[in-house]
Amino acid sequence: MNPDDLKYHKEHAWARLSGKKVTMGITDYAQEALGDIVYIDLPETDTHVEAGTEMSEIESTKTSSPVIAPVSGTIVDVNDKLADNPEIINEDPYGKGWIAVIEIDAPAELDELMDGADYERHIEEDK
Amino acid sequence: MNIVVVGAGPGGYVAALKAAQLGAMVTVVERSEVGGTCLNRGCIPTKSLVASAEALAKARRLGEFGIDASGDFRPNIASILDRKNKIVETQRKGIRALFKNAGITLIEGRACLQGPRTIRVDKPDGSQISLGADRIILATGSRPAALPLFPFDSEIILSSDDAVDLKELSSSFIIIGAGVIGCEFACILREFGCEVTILEALPRALSTEDAEIAEILEKEFRKKKIKLLTGVVVESVSRKETGVAVTLKGDKEIVAEKLLVSVGRALNTEGLGVETLGVAVGPRGQIAVNEKMETTIPGIYAIGDVTGGMLLAHVASKQGMIAASNACGVDALMDYRVVPAGIFTLPEIGSVGLREHQVKNQGIPYRIGRFAVRGLGKAHAIGEISGLMKVLAHAETDALLGVHIIGPHATDLIHEGAAAMQAGMTARALAAMIHAHPTLAEGVMEAAEDVHGAAIHNPEKS
Repeated sequence: MNPDDLKYHKEHAWARLSGKKVTMGITDYAQEALGDIVYIDLPETDTHVEAGTEMSEIESTKTSSPVIAPVSGTIVDVNDKLADNPEIINEDPYGKGWIAVIEIDAPAELDELMDGADYERHIEEDK
Repeated sequence: MNIVVVGAGPGGYVAALKAAQLGAMVTVVERSEVGGTCLNRGCIPTKSLVASAEALAKARRLGEFGIDASGDFRPNIASILDRKNKIVETQRKGIRALFKNAGITLIEGRACLQGPRTIRVDKPDGSQISLGADRIILATGSRPAALPLFPFDSEIILSSDDAVDLKELSSSFIIIGAGVIGCEFACILREFGCEVTILEALPRALSTEDAEIAEILEKEFRKKKIKLLTGVVVESVSRKETGVAVTLKGDKEIVAEKLLVSVGRALNTEGLGVETLGVAVGPRGQIAVNEKMETTIPGIYAIGDVTGGMLLAHVASKQGMIAASNACGVDALMDYRVVPAGIFTLPEIGSVGLREHQVKNQGIPYRIGRFAVRGLGKAHAIGEISGLMKVLAHAETDALLGVHIIGPHATDLIHEGAAAMQAGMTARALAAMIHAHPTLAEGVMEAAEDVHGAAIHNPEKS
């Protein structure tokens, strides 16, 4: 269920490396737990984020929850489509529901993230 | 007892009625309409506009509620102002009728103190009369403060007085000042379809409110696409063919059709003759008063905005009752411990008691209880799920220190917190009371329970 070509942060964010850039979003498990997403406070480009800290906030009909940056770096792109249609995250968390592109400070950081199988075990424990 | 009240705003007219109730002969001098800023240019007009804005917002969401409606819902500013003006006129008539029934004489004109027991009134027709009084109550209020850099012209550079009587809806507004007035107008204008940019010198909107509540409002602004620039310094304002351009420090320029300046209130002390009489007046022109609302000259009282303090209509009214009582020989002291206040943004904000930063600064040990509005079934039913209820309680005594609410009907809901504080209740006692289901007030109960980590419906620790 969780794509194998992605890396996962324990706070339920995914990361896909391409060159020095990481596209990121929240996992299918996270969107399922949040329920119907009604708003995302999109981060701004050119801001710097630290891995493991809040970079954005998502509101669902049930709750509001921080989005945790999976890697450290500078935000170079955000998915503006989510501003008016945040439900895209529910529909396609690993595809059209991407949140931001981060130019990574140190690609080695990616090694600290989990692969799909590890993340699957992690959420089993979380449950 | 012969009492003259200067000003018929929410302070003065209530003082007049209270004094009449206590048997005094009362004369009120008012230079304009009865009702003051509150009724004519403030509370009531803006709430009428907010109601139109909310109706429009609801109309645009009818589909969500299962109502088939087609067509384009648009604000008609002329009709919106007609409605507002009717509401205001009805209330003015109400005050005039109350005066009549209480035997209060209303004189139109500007008052100037001639002596501790004498007032000169300059009437609109140019004539003057002199009034003698055993006691005088000054309630002259305040007006929008202008900055020397950009004086109001009522066309392009507007005060809040102008903004409640907009002739047309311009496509874009810059608002200087993210205080109560600026934030309320931002929500109204945005709902009416205007582009709105707010400029604030301080680091956040609503700097005197609880920071967590203000943060949520800022997020709601982002949802509505109201632009808020904080920590900015306005360097210059210039008229353009298409409106106005504001230059910020750092050379950033922002343009809009109209500019609303809402940077505070100036107090109406000048021309009143207080200085020549020796009444103590502070640097902002605020008339100094004691707990009995008496100035430094015995027999002369002052109430409401002109005394500085909290510029709130309901505080002025209470001060008016205290002043009238004392003027009539009935001892009464002003007590500011529990003063609820409402901000009519979308969503609304209600607050009473200390904000968290004040609790911290005073070194009071405290606990916080929070409950998200989206945790309430009623909030989902009415389709208004944004917001937060926050209760601050003393960590040792559990006494309520403050209650802060942002969300639907927050300005009404806050009174539960205010009543609980007035009664000296603890957070546990507030939480123990049965709250009707399904209501928004359940959120107050849950937030009070959360002070001790015991909220039943809290989906998460925030």
